[in-house]
Amino acid sequence: MPLGDYVRNSQIWKSIFRHPAPKDRRNRVVVMLTNFFLHLHPVSIRKQGIALSYTWCMGGITFFLFLVETVTGVLLMFYYRPTLEHAYNDIISLGQVTTLGVLRELHRWGAHAMVIAIWLHMYRVFLTGSYKPPREFNWTIGVILLVLTLLLSFTGYLLPWDQLAIWAITVGSNMARATPLLGHEGPGAKLLNVGGVDLIHSGSDARFALLGQRFVGEMTLLRFYVLHCVALPLAAALLIAIHFWRIRKDGGISGPL
Amino acid sequence: MSEPTKPAETTAASPAGTAGTATAAAPSATPPAVPPPAKPPVKKPGADRRFFLFTWMGIAWTTFCASMAAMALGTVRFMFPNVLAEPPSSFKAGVPGGYEPGQVVERYKQEQGVWLVREGNTIFALSTICTHLGCTPNWLENEQKFKCPCHGSGFYKNGINFEGPAPRPLERFKISIADDGQLLVDKSKKFQHELGEWGSPDASVQV
Amino acid sequence: MHGADLNPQVQNGLAWYYLVVMLANVGFGWYQLKVNQSRKWAYFWFAVSGLFLLHVLMYVMHNFGSDQGRFLPYWVRDLSDYGLSRGLTSMGLPPAPGNLSLNDIITRSVEFLMYLCLGLWICDALFSYVLRVRIGAMFTEDTRELFCGMGAGERMVLWWIIISVLMVILYGTGAVTYFMLANAVFAAVLVWRKLFTEPNVAWLVMNLMLLFGGWSMTDPDFRHIIGKPDNVPIVFLVFTVAYFTWLPLRRAVINDERMERGEPPLEKIEDEKVLVWPDLVYTELICMVVVTVILVVWAVALPAPLEQPASSTKTPNPSKAPWYFLGLQEMLVYYDPWLAGVVFPTLIILGLMAMPYIDFNQKGNGYYTFKERAFSIISFLFGFVILWVVLIFLGTFLRGPNWNFYGLYEEWDPHKLVPLNNVNLSDYFWIRWLGILWEHPTGSVSLWVIFMRELPGILLILAFFFVLPPLLAKTIMRSFFLRMGFIRYITLVMLLLLMASLPIKMLLRWTIDLKYIVAIPEFFFHI
Repeated sequence: MPLGDYVRNSQIWKSIFRHPAPKDRRNRVVVMLTNFFLHLHPVSIRKQGIALSYTWCMGGITFFLFLVETVTGVLLMFYYRPTLEHAYNDIISLGQVTTLGVLRELHRWGAHAMVIAIWLHMYRVFLTGSYKPPREFNWTIGVILLVLTLLLSFTGYLLPWDQLAIWAITVGSNMARATPLLGHEGPGAKLLNVGGVDLIHSGSDARFALLGQRFVGEMTLLRFYVLHCVALPLAAALLIAIHFWRIRKDGGISGPL
Repeated sequence: MSEPTKPAETTAASPAGTAGTATAAAPSATPPAVPPPAKPPVKKPGADRRFFLFTWMGIAWTTFCASMAAMALGTVRFMFPNVLAEPPSSFKAGVPGGYEPGQVVERYKQEQGVWLVREGNTIFALSTICTHLGCTPNWLENEQKFKCPCHGSGFYKNGINFEGPAPRPLERFKISIADDGQLLVDKSKKFQHELGEWGSPDASVQV
Repeated sequence: MHGADLNPQVQNGLAWYYLVVMLANVGFGWYQLKVNQSRKWAYFWFAVSGLFLLHVLMYVMHNFGSDQGRFLPYWVRDLSDYGLSRGLTSMGLPPAPGNLSLNDIITRSVEFLMYLCLGLWICDALFSYVLRVRIGAMFTEDTRELFCGMGAGERMVLWWIIISVLMVILYGTGAVTYFMLANAVFAAVLVWRKLFTEPNVAWLVMNLMLLFGGWSMTDPDFRHIIGKPDNVPIVFLVFTVAYFTWLPLRRAVINDERMERGEPPLEKIEDEKVLVWPDLVYTELICMVVVTVILVVWAVALPAPLEQPASSTKTPNPSKAPWYFLGLQEMLVYYDPWLAGVVFPTLIILGLMAMPYIDFNQKGNGYYTFKERAFSIISFLFGFVILWVVLIFLGTFLRGPNWNFYGLYEEWDPHKLVPLNNVNLSDYFWIRWLGILWEHPTGSVSLWVIFMRELPGILLILAFFFVLPPLLAKTIMRSFFLRMGFIRYITLVMLLLLMASLPIKMLLRWTIDLKYIVAIPEFFFHI
């Protein structure tokens, strides 16, 4: 018996794949129903709905890049320490000391590519009118995912702790200082005072909560690290699941009625 | 839509709720024209049960929701650290006699974030934080102005903004003469021009 | 100094670049010949690839002992950065002290031409729109003959393009001319979408873009900016957005024509169902492989940037936000942080989320079309392409030290002096016009003074948000109001007005140096 057949007839193989290879119509249907990773898809689909000129595959690419970011990000976390003392040097050693010194590059360029891909995905969904009923709610989730992607990118920008990072985040987070009512330099903040004592000052405003201190420093690095590695990816993963589920529930890829 | 069937469902469901299994046997039938049969003489539900449901459960739920709200507020407060490892806010900056008229001293910019400026006989401490978005402007000696590299705000030597997006002048810090005759800058107290605070005696020192 | 350092590496890089472009043109010509059976176009594209072959040869010759390849002449750079007068000077026509040199004559006649066109544009607009009711059809339909069959809308765009181009020639690339030109090109692409999406025309436009990129790369300052690793995605972005604007417009043009003939859109034709395995699964696999390859090549070829360790006292000059937020950073120049950094981003997000609930148009769901939903497409494209992508490009390539505006080929001189004396509306109104100065009594802040001082600005803002919507509902957006209902209409108009407030403020800043419409520094409140 050839080795291939031997493997395919073994108990292990059969316990994983419950049916023969998807070579005929029946098994091509069955594989979509029994494989965990494929069951995201329907069994059959309109031919135009999957044409590249229609989908640009941008949603799929965005998701794939999210996976790339997750894998490379987890690997980077093994070496990176979010402290003023170590952060910058750990980034250098990730490029020069560790084996396979391109992981940080993969992570950074993947992030840039993901931002572009998600914009283009939104662009395509708009131009094909796919946000229209019954897909309104899924568009809304998509917008939140877009914001999460930008926030992920923004929080990650600080972690190398170089001049590029600290000033981009300083400029970015100083906007929070000007939040109406909640930022100490925002309009209306002066109104929130009790007995002549300002409730909103540089040690108690929205920016302070974001940075964990009055300026971009060690607490900020830690906060952005936690947001970047745990909080935002978890939120994004949950919303991605809902996004995909709703695609199916709202009738699959859009098309002319 | 399924408009024709909708009223049928609702009417079929409402008697089912009151009369138990009497009409549930024929849910798809047309609604009964006759009013539902009179209620059988059941025992009045216990008053203590109703009391339990509406009072004790109400109290319990209110307490639970209130404590959850308190927890949420506490979580928000949790994000504001109570202890900060930040350097002390005041420093000494030498004797006033060491400052030339018209000079902008950049010695304390790096560590303290302060420019000391002497204009005529007045010495004041300017914050190095741009009032637009918090970048650090540079002192351009030739052009006699502070220029912010982020969005191009420009300030005169006295801190007044004159170009770019900065909405208001640079802030000044409290400055005084310490017991040993040195200048003492206290960064915890600031003076803002647009609030008319620069006239305060603490905002500058006369040589 | 300028252009003198085309080192061998750069020249070889350019040679490779032109080689790829040349091969692409050969391929496109081949496609025209074999698939489209169009000999005329095929020969044209072969000729174009010949042109690029010349470029390849020009930049490989240095390997065989010849001189270095050509670089962009000085006068082109000066023309682009500083405008006509300086460009002519570089060509050898300095302006004479007596003010009647050839340089002045040319500059002034071009200036005259620009103002002439501006006047003609206004006259044309008056006759086409305002006076149409009185004079009747005389100046609308009949004049089509006169203007090569162009309608009034098309003529407006044409005037606009002519004036923007003349402005660029006269004044070089500045914030105003760049933004004007980008808007003109945007309008032109939408109005003449049938022409611009014709594959051969689109291919020609792409060739011009590539040629522009290649020529510009010979300039050290341009190369310096584009060579920054973090700017590579922007080049990606420009080309992908251009391509993915072309594709839907192309298909929309085809679909619109089909639907006018009563045929279904292209997306309806192949309506049968196929199995996801293999069709979709394999497409996804190929996409993943392609993306992986691109990403790995990119990561190996280009190291991620790492600058000096962070220092909270040394601000780099210029300090830029991450590239995808450069549109926001540009907005921060015109609006205060609480608006540009907090309120506007929030409203952009909320507006995007609200879009499917505002858009009452049921047509155009699931296929490309322009005519069936022209209004929504134009407003979304304006928001995304102009107010987002174009501003990112502006922030990356044209903003330099001290956040000054620099030409594409201009050296980033941190000592460049640009007077930025911006004036508040209250100053214009009270001090310069009426000669009244509102001052606080010493040592206190008077609300009455603030209110009176800012009254003109407050009235303007209130009028913008409370008079315009009902006015629009009565006039040009009447059909919208009737079909949408009050809540949808008011949400739409508010979002549109907020979106328009950015270009409006930009124009006010550039033309009359307006700083704030309402400025209350006492309460950190500026609009």
